[in-house]
Amino acid sequence: METAVLQVFRYDPEKDQAPYYKEYEVPVEGTLLNALLYIKDNLDPTLAFRAFCRSEVCGSCSMRVNGKTKLACKTPMKELVETWKGKPLRIDPLNHLKVIKDLVVDIDKPIEKMKTLIPWLVPDPRVVPTDPTHESIVYPEEMEAYKDQINCMLCFSCYSACEAVADNERYRGPFAFSKAYRFQVDKRDIETAKEKRIRYAISGGLWSCVQCQKCLYVCPKGVKPAEDIQNLRGQAVKKGFTDKPGAKKLKHFIDWIYATGQINRLYLPEEVYGNREAKEKLTKAYTQMGVEVWEVPKPTKGLMKFRDLYLEILSREDKALDIDFSHVRRIDKMVSDIFKADICTIVDKVHEEGKSSKGLISKLKSLLGGK
Amino acid sequence: MVKVGFYQGCCFQGQDAHMFETMKEMFKKIDVEVVLLEETTCCGGNTIDEENRKLSYAINARNIALAEKEGLDMLVSCNTCYMVIAKAKRALDTNKKLRDEINELLKEEGLEYKGTSRIYHLLDFFRDVVGYEKIKKAVKRPLKGWKVAAYYGCHVLYPKEIAVDNSDNPSSLQELLKALGAEVIDEYEGKDTCCGYHSFYTDKSMTLKKLNRILGGVKKVGADIVATPCPLCFKSFDIYQTNMENPPKVPSSFLPEIMAYAFGIDKEKSGLAHHLIKVEKE
Repeated sequence: METAVLQVFRYDPEKDQAPYYKEYEVPVEGTLLNALLYIKDNLDPTLAFRAFCRSEVCGSCSMRVNGKTKLACKTPMKELVETWKGKPLRIDPLNHLKVIKDLVVDIDKPIEKMKTLIPWLVPDPRVVPTDPTHESIVYPEEMEAYKDQINCMLCFSCYSACEAVADNERYRGPFAFSKAYRFQVDKRDIETAKEKRIRYAISGGLWSCVQCQKCLYVCPKGVKPAEDIQNLRGQAVKKGFTDKPGAKKLKHFIDWIYATGQINRLYLPEEVYGNREAKEKLTKAYTQMGVEVWEVPKPTKGLMKFRDLYLEILSREDKALDIDFSHVRRIDKMVSDIFKADICTIVDKVHEEGKSSKGLISKLKSLLGGK
Repeated sequence: MVKVGFYQGCCFQGQDAHMFETMKEMFKKIDVEVVLLEETTCCGGNTIDEENRKLSYAINARNIALAEKEGLDMLVSCNTCYMVIAKAKRALDTNKKLRDEINELLKEEGLEYKGTSRIYHLLDFFRDVVGYEKIKKAVKRPLKGWKVAAYYGCHVLYPKEIAVDNSDNPSSLQELLKALGAEVIDEYEGKDTCCGYHSFYTDKSMTLKKLNRILGGVKKVGADIVATPCPLCFKSFDIYQTNMENPPKVPSSFLPEIMAYAFGIDKEKSGLAHHLIKVEKE
């Protein structure tokens, strides 16, 4: 029978001075949970770990294999052996949580963090009948908006893998934001609660998420916390919470991409952090390096039709006015001041002359009379 | 000669236009013609998704449709562009209603998203289309004695649906660096830590902590340089590193630069000579 070696994290705070790893030879069959149960039944009854349903429902048996968070009952031993090509498999408890014993961790902290985001329904009396003999009906199409989020089983895999949890003590955790978002799109939930959740989400680190997507990768239930966090950020800006750098960054992206098809790194420091010197500094540095400075991105052929597409999609979502058109006009004016031509003329010229990007901006300026 | 459509995003134009020139030269050495997909726009940088996901899908349906119009597969270098475009492709390929709605609008520009073009990232393109043998043969200046730390970045490994390698234990970057003759270092603290690029304008402290962990780890194992296929991770390492209180001064390389250098293109032209954290190794 094929076997593999598990190096299992062992630590009993009441007895051990420090954690250590103990090796066990286990059969390569079934899941990692089967292997742990094999150890407990045949090799070492003192090993502690949490497990219950054995079928990806209870979320108890999450842990790490060579640093990667896995749900033990969902992870075939064969897959682990193939992935790690015969290397020993080091089994650790979840990251970012206090160890109670061996692979058992204390989950109180993330639970408490989650509670701060009001992960429950605050009924809107206009939608939910106050008379308990009346039903509050939710139609299947309404549930579409949160059908994935309700699958979260609090296994804390995402909390263990999270880059923001690693470096921000206050950060609530990916699952907590998904739990909060689930009620943000529930029509029965009252507007004042939605507003509060956003406020608490912001103070709970909403803008600290680095969007690494590890939570999507490790979630055994297909919840997509990083995407829910994006949705919450969008809601925050829509509700007028626009003072955070992240909100200003979003506005930069919305306006500049609409106006020119691209973002503009020269202006990001000013538009996000109010850093007016950054543009000059960058310009100077680029000039010294002999790199051509592009005050505006290369205007794409088809830009006007691109704008139509952009606006049409946002209109259909009732978001057209999220584009700051006065900002767009300022960008347009800046472009025409630089090139002495309007953006449509420039787009045509780029199409004629722009096969190479090298030196394009100076070429366009000299062709159009700009400086 | 393999021909492929190259998606430039924001990293290969403007001040970074020279990066595309490097890329083109480097690809010539391995018989690949990269055709710039001129009319494409920003992918939305995974930020437009905060505003509206359908807008992100529409922008990228248009980007992909421009490659399809040329009858070319699309090659993306930036990890984030790759992820955003690959996610959009997945959504468009699996949701007919979404595809139809967006195609109706793309008609205006004479475009249609069909789903016929493959989306490649550098790493799977080198592995599956070019092949490491061919790369080995193109090496004129083996990176002998270069201790290179391999850094993937997140958006080629996560989420699983769009990963170009085994997300838990990837090997394509190490294989490639080995083909260049380098001594590959793939065990160091922070190798799987996010580079922090995207949080520079949302939570700057996060960026600096990430850089500290990764670059500190690279320094500790004595690597000469850290190499990454993602131009954003590279910007984080080279540019944002200078924002750190005590920068560890670890040099970095965008993968095509170090490849160009190994293929015999000089340091100046490869781009390696123009980093803020100087690449001393010859």
